[in-house]
Amino acid sequence: MGDDILSYNGGVALAMKGKECIAIACDKRYGVQNRTIATNFTKIFQYSDHCFVSFCGLATDVQTVSERLKFRTNLYELREQRKLKPNVLYNMLTNLLYERRFGPYFVFALVVGLDPKTGETFIYDSDNIGAVSDNVNLATVGTASEYIFGLGELFFKPNMNADELFEATSQALLNGVDRDSASGWGAVVYVIEKDKITVRELKGRQD
Amino acid sequence: MDVLNPMTYDAEEDQLRDRTKYSQMDKHLIPVEFQQQPVSTGTTIVAVEYDGGVIIGADTRTSSGTFVMNRFTDKLTQLTDRIFCLRSGSAADTQAIAQVVTYQLDFLSAEMNEPPLVRIAANCVRRMIYQYRDDFLAGMIVAGWDKKLGGQVYSCPLGGLLVRQPVTLGGSGSTYIWGYLDNNYRPNMTQQECYDFVLKGITLAITRDGSSGGCARIAIINKDGVERIDVLGNDLPKVFDL
Repeated sequence: MGDDILSYNGGVALAMKGKECIAIACDKRYGVQNRTIATNFTKIFQYSDHCFVSFCGLATDVQTVSERLKFRTNLYELREQRKLKPNVLYNMLTNLLYERRFGPYFVFALVVGLDPKTGETFIYDSDNIGAVSDNVNLATVGTASEYIFGLGELFFKPNMNADELFEATSQALLNGVDRDSASGWGAVVYVIEKDKITVRELKGRQD
Repeated sequence: MDVLNPMTYDAEEDQLRDRTKYSQMDKHLIPVEFQQQPVSTGTTIVAVEYDGGVIIGADTRTSSGTFVMNRFTDKLTQLTDRIFCLRSGSAADTQAIAQVVTYQLDFLSAEMNEPPLVRIAANCVRRMIYQYRDDFLAGMIVAGWDKKLGGQVYSCPLGGLLVRQPVTLGGSGSTYIWGYLDNNYRPNMTQQECYDFVLKGITLAITRDGSSGGCARIAIINKDGVERIDVLGNDLPKVFDL
């Protein structure tokens, strides 16, 4: 597998926008180079009612960064007495990552969110040192990100409803990971709408 | 101790990576997107003898680093009518060996006017691996049926060893199923029991090994001929859900 630290554990995540809904999906593999150790390692974490972040890269940093971000968001909610908005969460995350500019965490991040009042959707992605991106329609991170990007661009249509969005996201992810030996072994898809969040676990190829 | 590069996978894969680093400067001069890993059939191969023939099986993944180049490779390469070889290691090396040995056996069978023995085929493979042992990265299993000794399985691993075994495994995925073999293999199994054993073994290895995947290709070789069976993903036996 090479000595690339970002593919040591493997893993991938994808986020796609729809009409007043968002989907974020990740695979469930936890492995060490060639060997698959567990298939219940999801990489999506919730930080607010409609804000989710996915981290892909070195597994130890996935756990550490998600917990450190949780610490900061908890303090924010206590001080401000209100829940986080997606762009605020994104700013906090990129700040956290840039603090370690010259000894970085080895995780790439995807931040997604929805404003329940206006239905406005947000998808941002970040590299491992906190580079900010625009609010995009489609974003992927992880070892199979290029393969999933191609499929995602193919399946994406503007203003999809929640069911179409789920289909497009899950097909892009499941078929993209078939070309990567460090991701796969099942997937989990979150579809976030104004009034509900649907979580679906997909079986997929176990190879 | 190399923390970023611990010894977690088998010798073939490790040496393959080291060997094909032409220069240490390549890492700095070539952008990482263009640094291709060599193509290897990081793989799982299984071969079993039974009374009357052999059953051989392999997964179907060829990878270049983490990229899966081929999801439905055929690693069961036919050398003669009743002799097959299973390839693991560098895809280029094993393909070259198989090609040369096929020619050598074809010539031999014309000279002797009878199909070559499995032992002869295994020796041809072994001789090539041994002669170029410093350059090749090939671990092969030669299995087949001949009139003299019936079904035989010969293992020709990395350095150029040749040994006949009733059952053998190869490739990076084999490390995960040696225990399964020790627990479940019994001598004198029937054809159906051997087939189930091979299929289950490949499925278990596919589930655990990143370099093995796809479907299972199995061949049953006996005096009546070669029967090839491709077991696609959803038809593989169910194993414990991790």
